[in-house]
Amino acid sequence: MNPSCYTAIVVATVLAGAAACSGQRMPPKALVDARADYFRAKDGPAMNLDPTQLHEAEVALDRAERAWQDSPSDPTTVDVAMIADRKALLAEAEAAALQAQREVARARAQIEANKTSELKTAKGALNKTQQALGQTQMQLQDQERQTATLEANLKEARDTIAKIASVKDDERGMIITLPGEVLYKTGSWELKPGAMAKLDQIAQVLKDKEQPIVVYGFTDSVGTRDNNMSLSQRRAAAVRDYLVSRGVPQDLVTAQGKGPDDPVADNGSVEGRAQNRRVELVVQPKQR
Amino acid sequence: MRPRTLWTVVVGAVPWAIACGSSVPPPHDQWAEAEANLGRAQMAGAPDVPMAKLHMRLAQEDLQKAKELMDQDNKRAASLSALANSEAQLALSLAKAASSQDEARKAEFELQYPNTSTK
Repeated sequence: MNPSCYTAIVVATVLAGAAACSGQRMPPKALVDARADYFRAKDGPAMNLDPTQLHEAEVALDRAERAWQDSPSDPTTVDVAMIADRKALLAEAEAAALQAQREVARARAQIEANKTSELKTAKGALNKTQQALGQTQMQLQDQERQTATLEANLKEARDTIAKIASVKDDERGMIITLPGEVLYKTGSWELKPGAMAKLDQIAQVLKDKEQPIVVYGFTDSVGTRDNNMSLSQRRAAAVRDYLVSRGVPQDLVTAQGKGPDDPVADNGSVEGRAQNRRVELVVQPKQR
Repeated sequence: MRPRTLWTVVVGAVPWAIACGSSVPPPHDQWAEAEANLGRAQMAGAPDVPMAKLHMRLAQEDLQKAKELMDQDNKRAASLSALANSEAQLALSLAKAASSQDEARKAEFELQYPNTSTK
């Protein structure tokens, strides 16, 4: 071998060695994956959410790089690179779990806040309803008191009137019946002084009651119907006018003559005719 | 040195070299730890999560290889046990992440539709 040939072999050997040392060897796929996965994890939420795990992945990757540099053909070098890759994936998974847990906590807190708000609204509505119910109950109690007062007053009025006249109740209201003999002279509509005294008491009781009053005049069947109708009308009007003069509101009192109609007794007897000659005051229920 | 003496030295050095090569103790503890983590992943529902299931499978294969190499190549057995452990831990984390994400979806649904049951 001549010297030039020897030199060429030496140079080729040195270049081959230099190429090998310069890292032209392809790294194993596991190491390439580990690098990619680590840098992806580093750019993701793991950097903030789980830096400890990410650091472990970095340490594992350093170890894998050293193993690749020191012992590229050692089978354990691939194992170490795969471990580094799994550490990077684990950092991402842990970060994903933490992120999901935070979302759960946020959603739960919002759900609780919504429930609290709804509860507050419902309580407000309940309070309003209770207040309205309270007011209604108070109004009802007021009405009950007023009704009781009214009934007591009516009873008192009735008791007072019952001392001077016949009193009964029917569907029209309270009926006060005054015999004709007590009120008028025969054939007249002029009130007797004694009648006025009784009507004074009745007016005193009724004038503030604000209840409509209809004064009906009745006669017996003796005489013509026209005369009886006229007489009963005038007698009823006399009573009405007297009550008005004693303070009963004019618009609440009306008078109507019914003549011999609606007799309460037999006109064939003296007693019956006396009962039929009468004045009835119908005190109607208070109009609301 | 005479040839006979040289032969004696070489023959004597072989057991010593073998002893040095197998100085790494069998990685029983690492293997057991990896197996325990595999069990944890199983309990956490990893078989129901595709990626977690895959890494469980890889862990099982690594453990099997490590077991076969135990006492023959303890260094590789240890390396495979460590890799199996990483696979098992990853499977566990993936299962937990899937569970948390499922819970987050349910919570978000409950938030958006408060009167609808997600069970």
